Amino acid sequence: MAVETKERRTDIGPPHYEQFLPPVIKKNYGKWKYHEIVKPGVLLTVAESGDKLYSVRAATPRLMSIESIRLFADIADEFCGGFLRFTSRNNVEFLLTDESKIDPLIARLKKEGYPVGGMGPSITNIVHTQGWVHCHSAASDASGVVKALMDELFPHFEKMDLPGKLRIAFACCLNMCGAVHCSDIAILGVHTRLPVVSHAKLGSMCEIPTTVASCPTGAIRPATVDGKPSVEVIAEQCMFCSNCFTVCPAISLSDAEKDGCSIWVGGKVSNARQEPMFSKLAIPYLPNNPPRWPEVVAAVKNLVEVYAKHARKFERMGEWIGRVGWPKFFELTGIPFTKYHIDDFTHAGESFKRSAHLRQKKGE
Amino acid sequence: MADQKRETPRLDQLESGPWPSFVKELKKSRKNPMTEDLLGQLERSYEDKVVHWKHGGLVGVKGYGGGVIGRYSDVAAEFPKCAEFHTMRINQPAGWFYTSTVLRKICDIWEKHGSGITNMHGSTGDVILLGTTTPELEPTFQELTAAGFDLGGSGSAMRTPSCCCGMSRCEWALYDTMALTHDLTMTFQDEMHRPAFPYKFKIKCSGCPNDCVASIARADMSIIGTWRDDIRIDQDAVRAYVAAGTFDMSADVVDRCPTRCMHWDGKKLGIDDSNCVKCMHCINAMPKALRPGTDRGAVILIGSKAPIMGGALLSSVIVPFLKIETPYDDIKEVTQAIWDLWAEHGKNRERVGEFIQRIGLGSFLEQIGLEPCPEMVMQPRTNPYIFYEDESENAEG
Amino acid sequence: MSDQVTVDEVADAMFELVSECYGKKNLKPMDVTKAMIQKFGEDKCSKQLCKEAIRKLMDSGRTIYSYVGGSYMTLPPPAAK
Repeated sequence: MAVETKERRTDIGPPHYEQFLPPVIKKNYGKWKYHEIVKPGVLLTVAESGDKLYSVRAATPRLMSIESIRLFADIADEFCGGFLRFTSRNNVEFLLTDESKIDPLIARLKKEGYPVGGMGPSITNIVHTQGWVHCHSAASDASGVVKALMDELFPHFEKMDLPGKLRIAFACCLNMCGAVHCSDIAILGVHTRLPVVSHAKLGSMCEIPTTVASCPTGAIRPATVDGKPSVEVIAEQCMFCSNCFTVCPAISLSDAEKDGCSIWVGGKVSNARQEPMFSKLAIPYLPNNPPRWPEVVAAVKNLVEVYAKHARKFERMGEWIGRVGWPKFFELTGIPFTKYHIDDFTHAGESFKRSAHLRQKKGE
Repeated sequence: MADQKRETPRLDQLESGPWPSFVKELKKSRKNPMTEDLLGQLERSYEDKVVHWKHGGLVGVKGYGGGVIGRYSDVAAEFPKCAEFHTMRINQPAGWFYTSTVLRKICDIWEKHGSGITNMHGSTGDVILLGTTTPELEPTFQELTAAGFDLGGSGSAMRTPSCCCGMSRCEWALYDTMALTHDLTMTFQDEMHRPAFPYKFKIKCSGCPNDCVASIARADMSIIGTWRDDIRIDQDAVRAYVAAGTFDMSADVVDRCPTRCMHWDGKKLGIDDSNCVKCMHCINAMPKALRPGTDRGAVILIGSKAPIMGGALLSSVIVPFLKIETPYDDIKEVTQAIWDLWAEHGKNRERVGEFIQRIGLGSFLEQIGLEPCPEMVMQPRTNPYIFYEDESENAEG
Repeated sequence: MSDQVTVDEVADAMFELVSECYGKKNLKPMDVTKAMIQKFGEDKCSKQLCKEAIRKLMDSGRTIYSYVGGSYMTLPPPAAK
């Protein structure tokens, strides 16, 4: 019986996780011995006690209706005592101990449209941002590009047929809510048109010193326009990061024809083998072409295929490129190398080749 | 007129295909007029190829400076039901574990007060409830707290800490990530709900160097599990892996060791643990045969962030090894020292990683009371531009 | 001890400052805190006291947090004239 209280509760924090753990986890917490992927999307974790836990991982579109969450709740009740969790990449995992229920659970999830997979050397859910669904600064949609990509890359979700893990991330602007800068393949929404300043509104909507300070390259300076205090943008210094818009809504960078996506490769966060690394620019610009972004999908698919064909076992995208060299990467992928690929920001020189260590091609 | 069904020919094309469709999800909740208009506005974005949301700065629940992201439509006349479409960030339980009962509770609250659309979960880790109006914020908050949930962080505050599933399911968890995350979240409720920092501050806890929550790239403070003693080897299990033939022991494991501290003679695997950097590769390859040691703790790293505004950073080491034990006083003390310094001297919208670059890691360490050590750098400096201090003056002072 | 300023005094002084700056300058909680310590003196006004004063202002609704790329202290919309 709920006790009605007038007192407003604050700072209670999240509920304690322990109440949501299935009995097998409570019993074996911190006492697990090993794990193995018994088949795509099914992880077996074995405890020191000999107890077994199966985690069945299904895809979600990240953007979820409460109707679907209720469906997951029903499925969890039916197959695993109501216990489930979500992963850092927006997959859902059903936690069960009864091995005989795995296949019926997989069949049920597939029937409902949430296929099982995304473990081991595969492509799992693409982490992504809000895009046109809910962001104010998006240079591209997120959910739509991700849906189009995963429809195409889907065989790599259901199978474990890649040399190593391939982690893809999407962010719809340079703010990178998805922090895509350390992904095997990252797709990043970009603006490419100069900010348009609404001088009539700026004085009342924005604080000028904050707006000036927001620019990483110092491209914004105070100006008086038509007798009103405002700012001006030095065109040559703008790299379209949109930070000015973040602090000042009277500045706009959105452009239907010139916004688009850039593609980055070779980052990772895991410490396994080589140290964590940033993603590097592969393709500076591809157009926004909704609803299915065919240019972006084709470019990513090409990258996946080239990697799958040439990388060695366990090798991540960045490790493979490191082994064969960037010239080989551009040759194998057929991506043109342009001046945009050469860094010209603060620590640009660190990426210049400063040795004669080059893989020369034999004369033809 | 308010109940009209929006035509969405472009979005409809994203319903087909094997991957779960977000358009289907939106349509499942279209009986809510807000979501119906959201579908309409999104279709408009697909037609116009630009976003149709505006900034929203002044929404929240009483007393808190975060947890709600204001959002307004710039085509509200056409889509009045989603004219206001604010997000609420709900602090997730550590490790993202749920029961069906508690999930239904959240769904019921969101059906009553919002669009019925969510993200499970947002990039930082919160449950994201997408789309409600200003008057609904406080009632939603009160129902959530009654159900045991609270808002997460946003703005210039500590953001909702998050972690991997740790000891709940992983034999590689080298400290209890969920316990630490929950404890830090509870300890720093004020820092999360009442923004008092120069900019955001994220904490992520990964149980091992595989770093499943990407803490090294996405957290201002990255707490990554590690160990100090020897990798435990079951030689029979090693030979079983070799016999199974799924990989080439020499080429795929021994030669991939970053410090080449392993050797394999066809029968026995040897590891020079004094030279092992705990990268996890050999353990990842043979989970049944190799296990991390038992003298466990974590590396504390600081400063990672996305590009805005001084460029992207990975976190860097400030404490090479720390035992992670309740009540976690060491971590809390170093966190507090960092916040005190950065809150007072950080520039507006300067992340702690950028702050360190500006004032220098050496100076930063001095001011938070940590001793410099070689583990903190890839190599010592190569330039001679050293800011020498007058040691005699210090001695007298 | 007796010449320590009270939470209410600090809160009132903060409210005055936020009102003065309304529409002219965005103030972060730390800006306000620094201003108070300067105004009352370090011996009479601590960061902790300022924190309590800010909480009092926010809980009572006299001031609210705003977000424009960062978090600031400001007046609630109805008071804005």
